[in-house]
Amino acid sequence: MNIIELNNVTKNYPLGNTTVHALRGIDLNISKGDLVSIIGPSGSGKTTLLNIIGCIDTPTSGSVKIEQQDISTLSDKKTTDLRLFKIGFIFQTFNLIPVLNVLENVEFPLLLMKKHSKDEIRNKSIKLLSEVGLQDHINHKPAELSGGQRQRVAIARALITEPSIILADEPTANLDSKTGEQILNIMKEINSKEHTTFIFSTHDHDVLKYAKRIIKIKDGVIDGEENQ
Amino acid sequence: MKLIFTIALRNLFRHKGKSLVIGIILFLGAFIMTIGNGIITGLNSGLQENIVNKFTGDIVLISEKQESNAVIISMMGKPIEMINNYTLIKKLLQGLPYIDKYIPLAQGTAMLLNEDGEPDFNFLLGVNFEEYQKMFGNLKVIEGRLPKVGERGLLLTDMNRKTNYEYLLNAWVIPPNTKVVTSNFSQEAKLSFEQHKLKIIDSMIFMGMNEKNSALDIKPSIIGVIKFKALNSFFGYLNLIDIESFRECFGYVTAQDSASSLDKDKSKLLAMESENLDDLFSDKQLFVQEKVNQNDYSLNNLQTKLEKKVTTNINLDNGTYNQVYIKLKPGTKLDNAVKKLNISLKKNNLGVKAITWKQALGEMADMATVIKVALFVFVMFIFFVAIIIIMNTLSMAALERIPEIGMMRAIGARKSFVALMFFYETLFMSLVFGGAGIVVGAIVIKILSLMNITTTNEMIQLVFGGDKFHPFLTVMDFVLCAIQLLIVTVIATIYPILVASRIKPLDAINRD
Repeated sequence: MNIIELNNVTKNYPLGNTTVHALRGIDLNISKGDLVSIIGPSGSGKTTLLNIIGCIDTPTSGSVKIEQQDISTLSDKKTTDLRLFKIGFIFQTFNLIPVLNVLENVEFPLLLMKKHSKDEIRNKSIKLLSEVGLQDHINHKPAELSGGQRQRVAIARALITEPSIILADEPTANLDSKTGEQILNIMKEINSKEHTTFIFSTHDHDVLKYAKRIIKIKDGVIDGEENQ
Repeated sequence: MKLIFTIALRNLFRHKGKSLVIGIILFLGAFIMTIGNGIITGLNSGLQENIVNKFTGDIVLISEKQESNAVIISMMGKPIEMINNYTLIKKLLQGLPYIDKYIPLAQGTAMLLNEDGEPDFNFLLGVNFEEYQKMFGNLKVIEGRLPKVGERGLLLTDMNRKTNYEYLLNAWVIPPNTKVVTSNFSQEAKLSFEQHKLKIIDSMIFMGMNEKNSALDIKPSIIGVIKFKALNSFFGYLNLIDIESFRECFGYVTAQDSASSLDKDKSKLLAMESENLDDLFSDKQLFVQEKVNQNDYSLNNLQTKLEKKVTTNINLDNGTYNQVYIKLKPGTKLDNAVKKLNISLKKNNLGVKAITWKQALGEMADMATVIKVALFVFVMFIFFVAIIIIMNTLSMAALERIPEIGMMRAIGARKSFVALMFFYETLFMSLVFGGAGIVVGAIVIKILSLMNITTTNEMIQLVFGGDKFHPFLTVMDFVLCAIQLLIVTVIATIYPILVASRIKPLDAINRD
């Protein structure tokens, strides 16, 4: 079953007097439980594609369906809720809320959901932080953590809502190779355990071994696909 | 809710510099606003205390025929229309539950003549001294004394004495059988006194002015020289004279006349103020032929008449007045009382109307209102400036926090979450810094009040609401300050909230 369906998606950006064609007609289906890597050189359209899948950006044309729901018809509120309930994000630059400590950052999405009790949220957050090896840092502020630790907090935050899809934009780009490997191992483990769909972009070929499916993108079009 | 509040609060501490700038603006805004409110309340209360309680009462009754309502400070123009039926008015006033006190009086412009027969103008306020003091208690004797019960004569104001000396009499007036008090001299009088040129007199001749030129010259006994305890520079032009002398001076019907020569029918006619023409042309006799001795109008005879120190046991209410000052019971709403009183007056066909003290004061009340409005506008201007600065600073802060806000939106925070976060940040600063501004403002108001600042400047007296600067804050003022602060907070955050709410997750990514 396809969890994500992209049909002839294009994305154009105005840049001065010219138009940048970031995506030029992408057709892509991703199944539940996939671990997909989108690979391509800088400026190939990887991040734009992830943003459109993550409902952060809208396509210029074409349709995007998440769990059979066409996102172009959704209001801002519903799109926000879709991101909250269905999608988890791991950004390239470890975007955490600077004024909240590690535990509060992880709790944040669940608190927005207003569906769980305080104790439930606390216990679940601590459990997740233990799983990513940060049980001893729950009271630290993001500024007091290393890059790898921050990215692990971001993973825990992305997982806390048990989303169907986790999008990671170059999750290892700012990490040393050892930490990057740890992060990818965590992602792989969760994918196999929880059947969470992972889509991550990268231009690092060493990262590709973790993916079940590799989608190559070049100049805004899919240039090839590999299954591993 | 707690989450938003936590983030908002911590953001304030994270951006200490900006928070401090906004905080200082809020502090200053609230501080100035509190001071302004304190001054406005002091001004209101001062005017209430000094004008209503000491000079005019809340309501003034004047004849329905009176064209201009500004009867108290009307420098020149037509004489004030007479009220000849005070006994009936009094009867009505006695029965009204919202009326506390009242006093009838008469005000008019008299000519003061010097020994060469040259005239100048003086205002006379004809009163029953005892009742006047009971009602207002605003007289401070600086020479001579206050009149005894029923005593006839004049209380000359210090201000009129100085003006009369300078512009007309060239002589310094003192009450008979009193010594010259040099400390009360004007500059000019002091200079003349030092040069042994100062002429001292103890009497003055006034000639009342009325429309029928039926007034008389009077030479009242000068009982004392007075100052008003408050707003002397505004009301110091009003010499006080006993009501019977005033009536004689202005050709009004005196109580003595009423007692001696008015029969029942004439009294009734006077009470009607000649409004009812049918009654006027009835077959009842209107005039009684009386023999008038020419000597009755001689100056000597008049002086003899006025030398009579104590009036005979007559009812002063039976003569003519031209105003009635009324004080309302505490808690009575002025506008309601005026409305109700006018209905009662009309119903009883009394030929008088009720106006507010502000209407009766005319320009002076208008000036006070202008000053009040100016103060209010100033406070509002401070608000406006505070709003602009806070709005600008918060909008800049929102733009600087695009990555953080965009990321929150990306992981599921709705626009309302971001809006509330910004609102709480400003609200918290308003509570802390604005609250501190109100508290410090209240302390400064208290200190200013205790400093007992006085002024003789007329314009500043209007700002003070009297001679003394007595700003203060009521509970309602604190509530008003809090509301004003809340308004500033809400208005100042609207635009930054819009800016912050428009931040999209993509903006955060693009910023990176």
